[in-house]
Amino acid sequence: MSRRSLGLRIFGAVVFAVIVTLFAALIYAAFQNDGKPLDTFVPGGPSSKEIQNLVIPVFAIAGVVFVGVMGAVLLITWKFRTKATDDPEEFPEQVHGRTGLEIGWTILPALILAGVAVGTVATIINLNKKEDKAIEVQVAGQQWWWQYKYDINGDGNFDGPEDITTATEMVVPAGRAIQVTTTSNDVIHSFWIPGLNGKKDAVPGLRSPLKLQADTPGVYRGQCTEYCGLSHANMRMLVRAVSASDYEAWVANQLKDHAADPTDAKALSGKTTWKALCAQCHVIKGVNDEKMKTAKVPLTSGVAPDLTHLMTRGTFAGSILNLYDPVDPNDPSVTLPASDIAAAGYPGAALTGGNVDVSRVNRVSLEAWLRNPAAIKPNYAQGGRGMPNLGLTEAQIDELVAYLETLN
Amino acid sequence: MAIIEALPTDQLALPGAVTSDYKPAGVFTRPKAGGTGWKSWLTTVDHKKIGIMYGATALVFLLIGGFEAILIRVQLWSPRGTLLSANAYNQVFTMHGTTMVFLVVMPIGAAFANYLMPLQIGARDVAYPRINAYSYWMYLFGGIFLNTSWLLGGGADGGWFNYAPNNGILYSPSHGIDFWNLGLIITGIASLAGAVNLIVTVLNMRAPGMTLMRMPIFTWMTLVTQFLLLFAIPVLTVAQVLLMMDRTFHANFFNVAKGANPLLWEHLFWIFGHPEVYLMILPAFGLVSDILPTFARKPIFGYPFIVFSGVAIGFMGWGVWAHHMFVSGIGPISVTAFSLTTMFIAVPTGVKILNWTATMWGGKLRFTSPMLFSIGLVTMFTIGGLSGVTHSVAPADTQQTDTYYIVAHFHYVLFGGAFFGFIGGFYYYWPKVFGYMLNEKLGKTNFWLMLLGFNLTFAPMHILGLQGMSRRIYTYDAGYGFDLWNKVATIGAFTLASSVFLFIFNIFYSRSKAKSLPPVGADPWDARTIEWMIPSPVPEYNYDPIPTITRVDDFWYRKYGETKDGKLVRIAATEDVVQQRSDGKHIHLPSPSYWPIVASFGMPIVAYGLIFNLWLCLVGGIIVVGALFGWVLEPPDDPDAAHEDHDPAAHGSDDGTVVVNAGEVAEAGDVAAEKEPETVG
Amino acid sequence: MANAVQTHESVAAADAHAPHAHIDHDTNTGISNTKLGMWLFLASECLLFGGLITTYLLYKHPLEGPTPKEIFDIPFTSTSSFVLLMSSLTMVLAVSAIERGDHQRLRIWLGATALLGATFISGQIYEFTVFVREGLGFTTSRFSSAFYTLTGFHGVHVTVGIIMLMSLVLLSLRGKLPEHRAETVEIIGLYWHFVDVVWIFIFAVVYLIP
Repeated sequence: MSRRSLGLRIFGAVVFAVIVTLFAALIYAAFQNDGKPLDTFVPGGPSSKEIQNLVIPVFAIAGVVFVGVMGAVLLITWKFRTKATDDPEEFPEQVHGRTGLEIGWTILPALILAGVAVGTVATIINLNKKEDKAIEVQVAGQQWWWQYKYDINGDGNFDGPEDITTATEMVVPAGRAIQVTTTSNDVIHSFWIPGLNGKKDAVPGLRSPLKLQADTPGVYRGQCTEYCGLSHANMRMLVRAVSASDYEAWVANQLKDHAADPTDAKALSGKTTWKALCAQCHVIKGVNDEKMKTAKVPLTSGVAPDLTHLMTRGTFAGSILNLYDPVDPNDPSVTLPASDIAAAGYPGAALTGGNVDVSRVNRVSLEAWLRNPAAIKPNYAQGGRGMPNLGLTEAQIDELVAYLETLN
Repeated sequence: MAIIEALPTDQLALPGAVTSDYKPAGVFTRPKAGGTGWKSWLTTVDHKKIGIMYGATALVFLLIGGFEAILIRVQLWSPRGTLLSANAYNQVFTMHGTTMVFLVVMPIGAAFANYLMPLQIGARDVAYPRINAYSYWMYLFGGIFLNTSWLLGGGADGGWFNYAPNNGILYSPSHGIDFWNLGLIITGIASLAGAVNLIVTVLNMRAPGMTLMRMPIFTWMTLVTQFLLLFAIPVLTVAQVLLMMDRTFHANFFNVAKGANPLLWEHLFWIFGHPEVYLMILPAFGLVSDILPTFARKPIFGYPFIVFSGVAIGFMGWGVWAHHMFVSGIGPISVTAFSLTTMFIAVPTGVKILNWTATMWGGKLRFTSPMLFSIGLVTMFTIGGLSGVTHSVAPADTQQTDTYYIVAHFHYVLFGGAFFGFIGGFYYYWPKVFGYMLNEKLGKTNFWLMLLGFNLTFAPMHILGLQGMSRRIYTYDAGYGFDLWNKVATIGAFTLASSVFLFIFNIFYSRSKAKSLPPVGADPWDARTIEWMIPSPVPEYNYDPIPTITRVDDFWYRKYGETKDGKLVRIAATEDVVQQRSDGKHIHLPSPSYWPIVASFGMPIVAYGLIFNLWLCLVGGIIVVGALFGWVLEPPDDPDAAHEDHDPAAHGSDDGTVVVNAGEVAEAGDVAAEKEPETVG
Repeated sequence: MANAVQTHESVAAADAHAPHAHIDHDTNTGISNTKLGMWLFLASECLLFGGLITTYLLYKHPLEGPTPKEIFDIPFTSTSSFVLLMSSLTMVLAVSAIERGDHQRLRIWLGATALLGATFISGQIYEFTVFVREGLGFTTSRFSSAFYTLTGFHGVHVTVGIIMLMSLVLLSLRGKLPEHRAETVEIIGLYWHFVDVVWIFIFAVVYLIP
């Protein structure tokens, strides 16, 4: 065999150095958690902390084994390389195996894994413990947004008059356990708020439990993680943890309806347009909710997001667009997913039913969305999946936005 | 590609030998044996030619699947990439996964199994040579059928795992998923036929003295792999038949409105899918277990442990499937159970790694290209194995699953593991198969470039996943912190692509240089297993005579003797113990046949019929059934290719010229076709 | 050199005594390739039917349309099952006939086996027709889809078996099935018995277990 040429030696050494640097950089990067709203290493609640406490030692063990094996291979390849001076007909000692050693290194990993197994089982048990007095929320995935139903009166039913139906954002009181039940209206989705817990698939026809709890008020972002078709990438959600008193006020406001006509003339004609074009799929309590209970909805999977209290949310369109504070006035499709409340399209006083700060509403994105939804978020509206392009005139869009702005 | 040197027909034919009263009826003659032109490849039943065709086809599909990977990486170069639409991206990632798993990695394993396994056990050919050809053509036509979806309305868009109900007609109305489903049923038939064939070959056709515990480890791993296929493929077929019933005939297997349970698909798919993972990696493990001892110049450390850990992986692989479903809502008890089984499958895998390391310990390591790729496998697979252990920890997996962390994990396993092993195997066996060495300098450059590209592409994905980047998303936004590492990964993907092209360049470069170099000889690496004692390229008849095996690494111990204290002494010059090319006149080989290619050609026509027009099914069905009857009715031999010890009477009815067993047991025909004339005469 | 385990000359001598042809007629396991292949194929088939039976068990209670209890005619299906089981007996008789070299009986028993199989298939076709008339279409419910797919798959297997049996009869008539080919009959018999045994499972799971 030909001897290694100098060029090859240098190339090999450079590649080796690059890979070592890369691994070092990646380990460093694993600890850089700022500006990474979906980071799994920033636990914000008891469940995610529980997982974190298990994951860290497991990673540590894996790291030790990694260093051990890599070190051994490097050492061996260096120590036992054939040197140019070696006699080609001289052979190393012919070792066929050592049974004791082999049994040893069969048992050793088994013991390490048994240790890991104990921690794993304990964590699984803890994560599945039922919490008393948890708030019951049913989370339903639908192409490509999330619907939340709160069992406010605790009767085990999510559709009573005292219950809440909302979309896109889940509002919870900080420090209180939420018992989520995931399900789906069409295909399999997965509900994942990395800051609060691991994910749970939302399977049609199945109801799966997931415990969530946020320790402090804040915004916890999430992303659908089970491939669910065309706009899977654009199916996001967030959990907005607020103080207990804000939560009470939010619930009280959510229970109200919007039967009364808006006073503003433009908004009023917007309502007429809404009833003519949007009310087939969307619901506004007090306007068409009674009708929608029996109506044939032209969607494959269920109704479109409930808009009754649209302006109490900070994001819309599957949580990819800010409802307040345009990020980039020139590009309506950009959303800034920062982790602090202010930048996540914070609805301000509107959250609990206060006035909507019209000056801060992200009209650029909202209008662009009404103009042609599929341009921002691909969908199959013709197949009953997603919001169609309704061919609205600019005047209609203007009136509709004016009406939507009244939905606090 | 026609490198296998076949013997000219006129050497084999003995004029006047054919006095058989057998009158072939028109089409029922067999093609002449021993041809070398392109036609001989279409009708060949030679396991070596079929192995080469498997490998060549898989490399072409590798380029297709690799191109799809590059599209993915370019799309994800920056936030809101615009190269691909959401729809196109979903098709591309689905077809990338499907192509790489079913049309690249599995077939490369089949290529090595076909070419090498009969050589390693000292057999003439596989048990059913025609079924072997049939397997290959089914794979080829299935793969082509699958890829014609691009021209006929778009590829599948459901992901390679293709979960219900997203794979239903309601959510994926295009024909892409039909192509996926039917194409994989076709390649599944190929795998199943291959599995039966190769298992029978290993169990029944070993050379004298080749006991199971003397078999080379690659052959052992092939045996385990084929058993996994034998039992895994039918489970996938059930899932696919149910899906076809749903999509084509409106059944209710995945119709939630009628009470279907979408988890049925997940269970069936992963009961197939996890053994599938092991059957992709085990052939590469086998290759490495044969390469490392050769270049460490000492025996594999703990042969029985390596073998039994492979068998253990094969068994345990059936009890871990639901770790793909930890978050699907299967309940905490199932989660715990599958979490534990998954952890402990790491034990036999770890044993292998440690044994390989121990094989190198104390050796005299020669860093040839095959050796470098094998060490690459040992290290890169270790990373994949360790990340695998982290998601056997179910609570951790709930954070990791369906993120890029998983993408990183299985690429370290399937690329860093299986593919590095395969490329190492290519470098190692190239002289045996084609009679010329691949250039070593290019080979080593190839290794370092591939190692670099591979790590640049997939190592950052660990961090991307842990920091929240979801799988199968066609786009991501700025502000999530995904930008930097996606760019690194894309650069890595191009590096990786260039290393694959370097490999292909090396093939042609070395081939053109080979003419001016001395012939490689039977044993260019000073290797251990018996396939190295026959001439390179391997003669059509393989061995003459068939060796009698006395121990593991039999060929090595024909060259060297071992003293009691482990010292090695040469007892014979290599030239004295290798076999010389003979004229092979007295060796009876199975004749080529037209029917495998015809029978498999009917299958995609049936599949097109199921998609577009049921009448086409009839056409395809007639071709398939007609070809099967032609198959079982054709004479056992090409009447013109008789041999000196060939009793013509054997062609009479006595030899069971026509063993009619249509349908699934058509394989019976092959034994009749191959039965040694002297046993009947 | 003295410590070497063996010399290459002795090894080469052993090679020369090895059969120079391949060893197909004298397999390592002692089971012929064809028979071993059939066993492996049938092992694989177990998983196929296992998957379909599991699917049926999951879906046996329909949300709408006729239920199993309403629609099954147990005495009728029991009779046709009995017919199919009897065909295993005639198959055994056929195998023993060819081993004795009794070609006349071989053809009779093979024909009888095929006839019994055909009777079973006719019964299945009749049963399906009745079910459809009673409102159990293929797409009616999850139960109907699973039922027709499972039993239909089995029916296809029986049909393939009948074709193979008839081919054997034809071969035998043309004198191309001599005694030393008895294994071919035996192997097709293996397939046939497998299909019968699978039916016992299907019959129990689908018709008998409530």
